Amino acid sequence: MSYYGNSVYNNPGYHDSDTLQIDRSPPRKSVHSNPHGNPYPRDQEAGAVQTGRSDNQTLPGGGLASYDDAQTRVPWGGWQEESWRGRDSIPIGLLSPRPESPHWQQDINQESHYDKSPLVQPPSTTTDHVSTRFRGSRRMSLFPVGEAALGNLGFSEDHIRNEMEMEEENVIKELVAMSTTDRIKAIRDLPMSFNDKKHVRGQVLVFKSFKKSRRRNCFADCSETFQLSFRRCGAHMMLARQTLDLWQGTMKEIGGTFGTGVLSYFKFLKWLLMFNVFSFLVNFGFITIPQLSYDPTPAVPTGVKFTGLEILTGSGYFSHTVMYYGGYSNETRGSEGRPRYNMQLAYFFTIAAYMVLCGAALVYSMARSFRKRFVQADPATGSAWQLLCSWDFSVTNERAVRQRRNNLRIQLKESLSDKVRVALLPLSDRLKHYAVFLGTWILSTGVAVGCASGIYFLCQFEKGSADESTGSLLDEASTLLLPFVVSLVNLVIPLFYSLFRKIEQYPNPRMQVYAIILRNVILKMSILGILCYYWMKNVAERSLCWESAVGQSLYRLVVVDFLFLMLGSFFGEFLSNVVGTKCIQSLGVPEFDIARNVLDLIYAQTLAWIGIYFSPLLPVIQMIKFFALFYLKKVSITRNCQPPRRAGRAAQMQTIFIAILFFPSFVGALSMLAYTVWTLPPSDGCGPFRGLDTTFSAVQVWIAYLDGVSGAHWIVWIYRHVIRSEIFYFLITIIILVFIYIFWQIIKGRKLLISLLRQQIANEGKDKAFLLEKLQDVQKSKQNKQRKKRPTRNRPEDETSPGLLQALLARQRLEEEDASAAYNSFGVSVPSERTMSTTSSAVMQALIARQQAGSQAGSYRGVPFTAEPPVPSSTSALIQAMQARQKAESQAEDGFHRTPAPSQNPVNALPGAMIQAMQARQRAELEELDRSEPERPVSSTSGVIMQARQRAELEEEFYRTPASSQVPDNTGPGSALIQAMLARRQIEDEYVDEY
Amino acid sequence: MGNTQTIFTDEQFEAYQDCTFFTRKEILRLHGRFHELAPHLVPMDYTNEPDVRLPMTLIVTMPELKENPFRNRIVEVFSEDGQGNLSFNDFVDMSSALCETAPRELKAIYAFKIYDFNGDNFLCKEDMEKTLNWLTKGELTADEVSLVCSKAIEEADLDGDSKLSFSDFENMISKAPDFLSTFHIRI
Repeated sequence: MSYYGNSVYNNPGYHDSDTLQIDRSPPRKSVHSNPHGNPYPRDQEAGAVQTGRSDNQTLPGGGLASYDDAQTRVPWGGWQEESWRGRDSIPIGLLSPRPESPHWQQDINQESHYDKSPLVQPPSTTTDHVSTRFRGSRRMSLFPVGEAALGNLGFSEDHIRNEMEMEEENVIKELVAMSTTDRIKAIRDLPMSFNDKKHVRGQVLVFKSFKKSRRRNCFADCSETFQLSFRRCGAHMMLARQTLDLWQGTMKEIGGTFGTGVLSYFKFLKWLLMFNVFSFLVNFGFITIPQLSYDPTPAVPTGVKFTGLEILTGSGYFSHTVMYYGGYSNETRGSEGRPRYNMQLAYFFTIAAYMVLCGAALVYSMARSFRKRFVQADPATGSAWQLLCSWDFSVTNERAVRQRRNNLRIQLKESLSDKVRVALLPLSDRLKHYAVFLGTWILSTGVAVGCASGIYFLCQFEKGSADESTGSLLDEASTLLLPFVVSLVNLVIPLFYSLFRKIEQYPNPRMQVYAIILRNVILKMSILGILCYYWMKNVAERSLCWESAVGQSLYRLVVVDFLFLMLGSFFGEFLSNVVGTKCIQSLGVPEFDIARNVLDLIYAQTLAWIGIYFSPLLPVIQMIKFFALFYLKKVSITRNCQPPRRAGRAAQMQTIFIAILFFPSFVGALSMLAYTVWTLPPSDGCGPFRGLDTTFSAVQVWIAYLDGVSGAHWIVWIYRHVIRSEIFYFLITIIILVFIYIFWQIIKGRKLLISLLRQQIANEGKDKAFLLEKLQDVQKSKQNKQRKKRPTRNRPEDETSPGLLQALLARQRLEEEDASAAYNSFGVSVPSERTMSTTSSAVMQALIARQQAGSQAGSYRGVPFTAEPPVPSSTSALIQAMQARQKAESQAEDGFHRTPAPSQNPVNALPGAMIQAMQARQRAELEELDRSEPERPVSSTSGVIMQARQRAELEEEFYRTPASSQVPDNTGPGSALIQAMLARRQIEDEYVDEY
Repeated sequence: MGNTQTIFTDEQFEAYQDCTFFTRKEILRLHGRFHELAPHLVPMDYTNEPDVRLPMTLIVTMPELKENPFRNRIVEVFSEDGQGNLSFNDFVDMSSALCETAPRELKAIYAFKIYDFNGDNFLCKEDMEKTLNWLTKGELTADEVSLVCSKAIEEADLDGDSKLSFSDFENMISKAPDFLSTFHIRI
């Protein structure tokens, strides 16, 4: 690959190309910020390619290796990839893109569907866009290639940019391979800025259209156009759906004020409303309209008039309309020869289909919700979750924000103190807690059972009074007693349950919420269960048209429940708000209790499901109820309530609510209906199934009829061999059980795998930490080495140069003097006099130099002398030797001159100086010995030094005695002087010898 | 339709629809909101893509952001220059990442960036303390803040480097199903 690079430079054609001037300007940004500087726009893409190359050639510090590396990943521009790929192996092909380019551009202009778009004219706009792109594309390579991290590792900016370009190219390649919908989804999910996405999208589109233009396939064009229009159509559909979306703005408002938890209640409400709308449409369309089309006027007996109370009681006038089961006929509509409409089958299959669809929708949403929210949820992440995930970004109300802050603060403080408290709980306290749990559970269950039995006896009583009824208005109103009591129980008992909160102390607030929910569910379901039992057992045997009677009871329950919901939100929320704010300040503004409200909804929906068979149009009432409830709750919550204090995990609660809606509620309603349909005899006098043993007999009759009709054998077969056969259900059960077992085992295996992977992550983390430590160690030692190395290279040359220079100068001067002395070779006294006077300054300089050089030499002496240049060290050794000698001389001189002066001074000063001199000399010697001796003068000087040293030792001994004995040293300096003189002489001699 | 044609071309709409989670109408609404912030600066005609940037101080006056403790940080993260000056495209970007339909991964990435104040690609204790102080408006003592933060890091840290990497963060998010709905600004 490096051959390419060289050939680029060597190829004359390359230098002749128009982009030469651009090519020579190294910084990339300047190139791209001025793309139109290129006077030949026709060749711009060639310029872009070659600029890319030139960048790689100017990679700072990259060296050849990184250049080669970079070459392999140079983004040639995604859209050009195809055209270049064929020529990759021929270096010269890269260098003359010019003849290709016009043709390629024409291709685009002719074939692209997007050529009118300003974003996707790549040659000009992309280059124009590049400078901004690089600014923005930091976002793209977010995590694996963090800029800061790379910067720390010493990657150059170009390197990072190359990485990013490569990444982008990969992204584009991936995107090109995808289908249109996938691609749009993938582009949307890219974590980049919009400009980057647009750029990527443009490149992908151009690349695609280019590919297509090579194929020149009419079919592809057509399909592309079709896809485009299809997508546009889809976008419009989405737009329409959004416009139809109910309560968009209200939802936003509620979410903004009360947060996601409260919003989930309203979403749940809306979801249930949709269920009822669907059920209404189905029932109305397949049961009521056929009935009305043949029999438009209800068969109301004379004397029964609409009084208005029917809206509450559902009886009277309503009981003869299509509102209830009794209002439908059992006839088969339509004349002979035309397709006929069997009311029995229509009634049966509509209700059955609706229940099956409801069940499927519930199972689906429950499973999805479980998968998404519940199974993954892990109670371990408490405070991290509170810190990083609990903030509700959608809250926009100032008061709510303040309150949320307070709540969070309180919760954090609690969690800090909780940890301490739980750990310290003694056994007796724990036993007491368990006793309290047991007591409250027994009490709550007892209350539920008591309520249920009370309601059963009330039903019995009502039956007795109904037998004696005369049909007056008062009697009709008295039927409202039962639903009134039921709703009252539903309103009051949950409040009673919530009192338990004061005495129970759950370790976890969520446990408390679950306990309350469970109790309420038990209460509501036992009430409904007992009512169903009563209807099945007593009403079904007695009444003339018992289905309509049950329907009426359910209607009353639904309506009264609605009234109580309204009253509940008025009294419960408004009054407690008034009380909390005006009378008892300590209570405060009531919170919106999501759990209680959702359970009310579930109860209401259960009634509707049970009632669908007995009163096909009950969903209408339910729809109205939920619709009104939405606005009622909205007003109530904004006026009276504050957001719930505990930022509970709304999503998990939602899952639980869906589960409750499915399990006791829907399954209960379904089993009740199934029992009714399969076993109970329908009433003789009314309804579509009159005259049959059971409701299901309608299907049997139909099958028997089909048996004689040709072409319908498959239905009969299915009925006989699937619906009615035990072996089928047996097999199905076995298979399902086997599957459940297998999946259970898979789950177990996955759990094991998860724990192993977790362990592995922890280990990897440890590995990472270990390697990082190692890396830091290596870096540190490297730095140390560099610091040590640097003096050997630099300091003798740069920093110590003044010292060295001075020392050298001093030596030169000495040598000159020595030489002159040697040449003169007169008496000792004259030159020595001269030297003494001249050396004094030289000595001073040399001393300073020695101090500096000495310390530095000392510092570098610790390093092994592997790659040392020998000359500086030898000079420094020499210098030291010289200096030592000079010092000896100067000291001698001092001693000589200062005889009358107080002796204390030199005595104190001299030994120190002497020791220094000694050390310096020793060091110099060591160095001399260490080194090989190719140079004669050096070795001769070493001899000199040896002698000087010996003498200095003598001097030292000599001085040491006076120093210790405090003897005046006027004799000492004299002899020292003599010795020094001798030494100097010797040196001089030697120098002369050398010459 | 006459009105829509003057603000954006069809190609621009296509690009917006392909690259963000918005429909044509929502893009127009976003433009309306953006225009509302500075009617004299933001033109009604975006067909030639004018380079108009609104400063952070203007953006954070939007009612959706006004009370958010992280408002400045959000705007900073989504601005291309990192200083909080938003062009319309950045604005669309921000709304798109924070909208309801954005996938969890995308939201997690941007949430991580928002919480990563010093931009070192880790949520270290410093970042966490800053977050907590912003959330509680500095009403906890320094000791409490430090305690809570170290506990949080300890809980969420999988690989034991006492700071949260993106994968740690993502793992935590995956266990917090509410995140998808709470990291959400309805514009």
